[in-house]
Amino acid sequence: MSDMRAYGYLIKMRVLTALAYRFDVWIGMIGDIILLAASVFIWKAAYGGDALGSGASIVGLDGMITYTVVSVLMTTVFSTGVQNTIYNQVREGNIALDFMRPLNLLGIYFSEDLGSMVSALVNKAIPLVIMASLLFGFPMPDSPTAAALFVASCVLSFMILWLMSAMVGLVAFWVAELGNLGMVKDAFIRVLSGSMVPLWFFPEGLQRISEWLPFQYTYQLPLSVYIGMTTPLDALRGMGIQLIWVALLGVLLAWIWTRARGKVMVQGG
Amino acid sequence: MAIIEVKDLVKEFVVVRKKTGLGNAIRSLVLPDKKIVRGVDGLSFNIEQGDIVGYIGPNGAGKSTTIKMLTGILYPTAGSIRVCGLSPHKERKAVVRQLGVVFGQRTQLYWDLRLGETFELLKRIYKIEDKRFKATLDMLNDVLRIQDFIDTPVRQLSLGQRMRGDLAASMIHDPTVLFLDEPTIGLDADAKHAIRGFIQTMNRERRMTVVLTTHDLDDVEQLCSRLLVVNHGRIVEDGPLDSIVGKLAPHRLLVIELSEDVQAPEHARAKIVRQDGLKVWYQFDKAAISASELIADLSGMLPIRDLSVQEPDIEDAIREVYRTTG
Repeated sequence: MSDMRAYGYLIKMRVLTALAYRFDVWIGMIGDIILLAASVFIWKAAYGGDALGSGASIVGLDGMITYTVVSVLMTTVFSTGVQNTIYNQVREGNIALDFMRPLNLLGIYFSEDLGSMVSALVNKAIPLVIMASLLFGFPMPDSPTAAALFVASCVLSFMILWLMSAMVGLVAFWVAELGNLGMVKDAFIRVLSGSMVPLWFFPEGLQRISEWLPFQYTYQLPLSVYIGMTTPLDALRGMGIQLIWVALLGVLLAWIWTRARGKVMVQGG
Repeated sequence: MAIIEVKDLVKEFVVVRKKTGLGNAIRSLVLPDKKIVRGVDGLSFNIEQGDIVGYIGPNGAGKSTTIKMLTGILYPTAGSIRVCGLSPHKERKAVVRQLGVVFGQRTQLYWDLRLGETFELLKRIYKIEDKRFKATLDMLNDVLRIQDFIDTPVRQLSLGQRMRGDLAASMIHDPTVLFLDEPTIGLDADAKHAIRGFIQTMNRERRMTVVLTTHDLDDVEQLCSRLLVVNHGRIVEDGPLDSIVGKLAPHRLLVIELSEDVQAPEHARAKIVRQDGLKVWYQFDKAAISASELIADLSGMLPIRDLSVQEPDIEDAIREVYRTTG
């Protein structure tokens, strides 16, 4: 498909835009490092005491620190700006201009998020890895196989996160005030994805329910692959489930999109 | 075949009425007071290739809504639209490939990047070959002089430069139809002049069809061969500017400055509407008598030092249309 060059250039433009905001990048990094250090110290304190119960026997402190560092890295790199982009474009009426491009609107927003990811990898991830290595040691993967499976699983994780964000964003076509819905979704992801606290520390019942939700397949799965807690075979099984979620959410998004298309309003004349 | 065909077009909006007071605010959360409003109410018109059509009307008349349906952004509630033979909302991508669009109050340029970067993106979106891309840019540069600021980040451009950039961006793929939604809004006289010149050039050299919405009647007067006047979502006038103005304000004025103070005589086909010192204003209907005839008649009777013919005021005529259809 020859539209690919256009989408490719959108990625490049987003990278160029990110370079124009280098100050923003540095400020963001300071925030990431604080978050990272706080998380690591909390885990050190928790493992030092006796507060973790049976969960602590699953992964040791070193594994947990690696888990946390990589989790913060994933959060930094995964860019799902699509939600806010749709919301802002609808609210300000600039969605009209996006519709003037003979391209797929969601394709445009996806390319822009890919561009943000590329620049985040260079701008944010590399400095953060260096900082984390100096403070807590380099977060080594369990094995080269684990690292490779982690990367593959991350691709699917990002797809799940992006599709959920796009869906929430599209709600802006029905309701002009979207703010809180996005926050609710983000809270669900933060808690149920295992990005902050792995789900094995949660009550049994919640763990059972969460297996049927997409959230733990965004962070916990690739992270537990990385630290070697999940065997390669289980990792492949998990990626199968990720694929099913990508397909399900993709179909749902396409359906919402066709409904939203007829609802378009352009604010501000 | 007309390049744009619109038939019985209707667009309804649901408007939620908000009332004052906390009680009413809470009530409207549960039971919103919804009302259906017709933004566009049964429009039909055709536009032929190569025309420059002014689409005018007061604020809220449904101009922008119509443009947004013609460009496939909004779905019509009823009626049909064909642009270049296609339905814009069903085949949006195919239709917008043939359109250039400028919204005067918005920009399609990438704010943080140099202007040229947007052109590079458009080159890839429309799959323009290097040679043609360069030729088009050169041509656009001749008319719009964008070379001076093509490497400047868009956020640093003046409004006039930005508008020139936006026009160039809308033209880079050589569209069949150009939609301009208030292209001269907020611009100074010089920039307006440049933009009008550009529109005329593109129309003349490329037979490009132009649909223009504006509140600036100078735009209309200088550019448009035809005028569509809308009010309350309906077309209230359709025709060349002259004929609309002529119909509503058929009179012209002949202003004569006398060289000495004499009593100005009445004329059978012109009426004295004002006399002030040495100046006399004759009002006449151009259908009844030509200006030259009237001047010839009067110059035999009056000591004329200077004279001028005043056209009826377009602004007054248009205001009259809005008022009588409002």
